[in-house]
Amino acid sequence: MNNMKTQKIIFKRDEGWTLVEAVLTIVVMAIMMLGLTIVLMAFREHLDRSWSVRVMDQYGNDVIEQLSHQLRNAVDVEVRRGRGNTHKIDIKFLDPYVHDKYNYEYWEVDTRAGKVMINNRPVDIFYPPSSPGRGESFEIVQFTMTPYGQLTPNRRERTDSYRRNENFLNATYDVRLKLRYNRNAINPGERNWSYEREYSNRVYMRNMNLVVKKGILD
Amino acid sequence: MTMKVITWRQDEGSVDLMQLFVGLLIISIASIGTFQSLFYGYDQLDFNMRYRSAVSIARSYVEYWQGRIHTDIDFKDRPVFSGNQGDPEVFLLDERDPTTTYDDVYCEVAYSPIIAVDHETTEGTDFYKFSVIVLWSEPNDYNGAPHQIVFSAAMVPAGL
Repeated sequence: MNNMKTQKIIFKRDEGWTLVEAVLTIVVMAIMMLGLTIVLMAFREHLDRSWSVRVMDQYGNDVIEQLSHQLRNAVDVEVRRGRGNTHKIDIKFLDPYVHDKYNYEYWEVDTRAGKVMINNRPVDIFYPPSSPGRGESFEIVQFTMTPYGQLTPNRRERTDSYRRNENFLNATYDVRLKLRYNRNAINPGERNWSYEREYSNRVYMRNMNLVVKKGILD
Repeated sequence: MTMKVITWRQDEGSVDLMQLFVGLLIISIASIGTFQSLFYGYDQLDFNMRYRSAVSIARSYVEYWQGRIHTDIDFKDRPVFSGNQGDPEVFLLDERDPTTTYDDVYCEVAYSPIIAVDHETTEGTDFYKFSVIVLWSEPNDYNGAPHQIVFSAAMVPAGL
């Protein structure tokens, strides 16, 4: 055993790297960095899109919920044509505090700014975002209020609407808001991308068919 | 006789092979955890969007039946009053990718039997009550029970 030699295999030399080792290391590192950059860029793109879609979604739900709430309390409504595929909605409802006093709300779309206005004031001052990214834009494709059975993709509802009576049809409306988020290509090799989503609610304006409403308006 | 002792650790400082492996392993596990949590978060946000759509659909269906009870219903029409839970309607809940229809998420919407509520202190029917049920399954969720939203509502006929 005394003659036994001990030999260590070590994985590092003290003399530094050869040219081949250095070049190989740089190549491997470059490939890794390239892969990482592509993954991170794709992830950032996904994150940006997702964020903007959430902002749009929040706004769409907000507008539709506010409008539905007002319509449920309304005693009368008038729908007029607006710019593009939009309607102007004039809502008349009783003042909750003052007897025999009416309040009015005029809903319309500012198509140029891409926002819904109530009495010439935006529903949400933070939409669309004031500083969107390059190539980003938000637009309102549709803002309509139509009687039950019209403009619906559901065939059963359309058929059903022919069987409903006048009182029901005069008081039941569908409100629709369709928003679109555009992300245009900026760099070579990119593609335009857009996401469209429709927000809708059905409202039965119960005050339209109440005896009390007739008394108020007469 | 020569004996070779293989040591995976080196004494001159810097990183040896074992340290490199362990380091890479730790970074990989941390990266997988981070990305998994991010995707889980996105899934939850998507679920939240669908949930709000389902609430909107349920609310709209409730409005329809409230309108019907209020102004436009035949009180002798027994099939209408028995609900449609056996044959629910199908609505599009979420169009995930607009370029394809394969990943669309649909929901089933039904209403329960419409029940006349008659309080003893008053004469005749006081109001009618019913529930609307929306059921849907989340994508990639094959084992769990479907998600459900139930809205209970009541309405009086306009003549009451």
